[in-house]
Amino acid sequence: MLVLLLSVQAWATVVEFEHMQRLDSNATQPPDPAPADRWIDTALPHVMPAAPEGQPPRVTWYRGSFDGPAAADSAADWAVYLPFFYNGGQVWVNGRLVGNIPESTPELRVRWERPHLIALPPGLLQPHGNQLAVRAAAAPMHSLQHFPRVAVGPMAELQPRADRRTFWVRTMPQVTVVVCLLVAGFVLFIYWRRRSEVLYGLFGLAAALWGVRTLTFVIERMPVDSWHMWRITYLAATGGFIVVLALFALRFAGIRRPMVEKGLVAYWLAGPTALWLLGPGYEGLVNRLWSAGLIPIGVAILGLSVWSMLRQRTLAAAVMPVTLVIAVLAGVHDYMVAWDAPLLARWMPYWASQRIFLLHYGADLMLLGMGGLLTARFIEAVSSLQTANRNLADLNETLELRVAERERHLAANFDRMADLQRDRAAAQERQLIMREIHDGLGSRLFTSLLRVERGDMSDRQIADTLRDCIADMRLALEALAPDDDFQAALGNFLFRWQTQMQEARVQPTWAIDVPDSALNLPRQVVLQLLRIAQEALTNVLKHARAKNVRIELRQRSGMLELVVVDDGVGADLSHGQTGRGIDNMQARARQIGGSLDMRSGAGGTQVVLQLPLSISVGADVTVGAIGPSGA
Amino acid sequence: MTTKVLIVEDEPEFMRRFSNAVLNDPTLSLVAAVSTGQAGLAMLDLQVPDVLLVDLGLPDIDGVQLIAHAARHHPGCDVLVVTMFADDGHVVASIEAGACGYLLKDASAERITASIHELRAGGAPISPGIARRVLERFRTKASVGLVSGPQPEPEPSPLTPRETELLRMVAKGFTFETIGQLLDISPHTVVAHVKKIYRKLAVHSRSEAVYEASQLGLL
Repeated sequence: MLVLLLSVQAWATVVEFEHMQRLDSNATQPPDPAPADRWIDTALPHVMPAAPEGQPPRVTWYRGSFDGPAAADSAADWAVYLPFFYNGGQVWVNGRLVGNIPESTPELRVRWERPHLIALPPGLLQPHGNQLAVRAAAAPMHSLQHFPRVAVGPMAELQPRADRRTFWVRTMPQVTVVVCLLVAGFVLFIYWRRRSEVLYGLFGLAAALWGVRTLTFVIERMPVDSWHMWRITYLAATGGFIVVLALFALRFAGIRRPMVEKGLVAYWLAGPTALWLLGPGYEGLVNRLWSAGLIPIGVAILGLSVWSMLRQRTLAAAVMPVTLVIAVLAGVHDYMVAWDAPLLARWMPYWASQRIFLLHYGADLMLLGMGGLLTARFIEAVSSLQTANRNLADLNETLELRVAERERHLAANFDRMADLQRDRAAAQERQLIMREIHDGLGSRLFTSLLRVERGDMSDRQIADTLRDCIADMRLALEALAPDDDFQAALGNFLFRWQTQMQEARVQPTWAIDVPDSALNLPRQVVLQLLRIAQEALTNVLKHARAKNVRIELRQRSGMLELVVVDDGVGADLSHGQTGRGIDNMQARARQIGGSLDMRSGAGGTQVVLQLPLSISVGADVTVGAIGPSGA
Repeated sequence: MTTKVLIVEDEPEFMRRFSNAVLNDPTLSLVAAVSTGQAGLAMLDLQVPDVLLVDLGLPDIDGVQLIAHAARHHPGCDVLVVTMFADDGHVVASIEAGACGYLLKDASAERITASIHELRAGGAPISPGIARRVLERFRTKASVGLVSGPQPEPEPSPLTPRETELLRMVAKGFTFETIGQLLDISPHTVVAHVKKIYRKLAVHSRSEAVYEASQLGLL
């Protein structure tokens, strides 16, 4: 390795100077080669402190000799390549000025990050003993003066090197600035619309600050008047980036310490404010005290994110510490490059000689990581929202299914209840009919049978009894017909008796005015009412020898009133069959909660049945429920 | 010219009663009195009567079938359905099949012959219960047509307003005389209306049967 260091490295035909002679001189053209003892042999890249305060700026000349192209291809284009040439200066070849890179002036401050590739005019070079002289302008105070390994060779071979370096030290920072500012604008817009997303705000701020800070690699010329403001801005951006990173890490770890956050922001503002108030002369002091204070904050960020990673044990939580570690390593690397740590130069001399700084790539990576985390959070939020929606839809569906099931259940229950009610109603109706047959028709037929067996009845009496039985059965059928109501039963009754009385030469007069409240009378009540009317009419036909009969049915002060009046001979109400018939009617009237009044005299007979409408309905509610209107 | 009567009744007592009533009336002649539906069908086609008295509860076939046969093949034959209690469902079914009226089994001999003469004179008996059911039949048919019929227009009731009113009055138990007075027509016209109504019901039910059959692909 020592051999390498000492020899001129030949890279194809490219000559790369590892050693040159140096002379501090403010000359504006190459100083006289003699006296040779004043020139100091120097290994490249060379670093030395800028001139101390109070002394004039130190301008340095470097010189070296090299072999040119062979005579055969002397026509080829050659160039001088300076990977970095921060402060500008002049390049001379064989006593001729071939490149003049602007130096700082009292009005303009320069710092050239870009590499310089200086084409040599054809015919300038000789096959041997070409002289290269470079004037390196003075570095600003409190900084180091760097001089690179200069290379001379064919343009075609040096151009790619220059392009590569241009990409890394110039294009990338430019891209970084643009991307950072765009992303910052975008993310800050999101934050503006959704203030609760503080992480987005912090990320946007960090991106913006980093974009501003990276400008330091992009701006190569700065008016001296603006230099101080730029330095304040630079410090504010750098410190701000670290502080915002710390806030981000705190929030991301779920830690809310308003006092700590306020303290961090205050510290951030303190540095630039102090520099602004104190003036350019105190930059070194501010750097030493304030910038140094950012280092523990950085360490704290690292510690916090590692702790958060260990606690959460997720890939997302690992992103921050990993990028931070990379950034820290990049920072260490840059520190070593910047202050020319011998260790780095020893292990990677070529790399060290290139002076490529990595910290802002670390920061780029960190911003990428933060952006990735936020994107992941965003996607997670969106998908959890979708999941929530889906769950809601599922829930809805489940609920609807349950409601439908419940409805089915209820409908089934209702059907069952209706069936039960129908069964009950049918049972009650059967019971009613059974009672009718048992008490009415049955007992009459039995009595008649006994009397016929005893020889106690004439044929006519038997026929009458049977006719009565048939009439009664007809009445029961009409009154209990499942589809018909009182009105229908009454219509049939009227129709039948009209014919019957006309055949018996009795003129009936009907005055029927059924109130609506009577239409819902229980069947049992209707049946008994019609039976009473039938009994009365039968009596008229059998005994009264009447010419006219008037039948009235109407409502009178809450009572339903049935009146049957004839103009016959009257009847003995207390004896014989007539008496039994009347007892029967009285019993029926009582059964339905009514009262029967019967008067008989020379002018005829009058039967009045009074039935309380409301009570009669209430008296037999269970029977009433069977009516067609209730079905 | 006597009115030829065919009696289809499976109970001998009632067959005798009806037969005697017919035989005792010189203007009526008894074609036959048979006790089974098949015999009735055969007699119907053999010697078409003017009036058919038919019981519904026959031992072999449904009396309604017999009525439908008579109505389809012998439109000149008036059918009276014999019923025990004028239980209206059966009577209305019979009228829909083509019967022109009903006769109660316990009717007197005079009532039997009077009914036959009324029928031949163009009238028909009706009871309040039957009137109610006829009204219902027309109403439900009209509303069924309204709800599920292939045509969106509601089927108008084939009954005239006067016929509908008449049926309502009968349903309330008014006598023909009263109805005639109220509508300012003779009782004879009232029963003529009833017969027309019965015909309409029969036609109605037949058109409905045709519609049903065509729906089922039978026609």
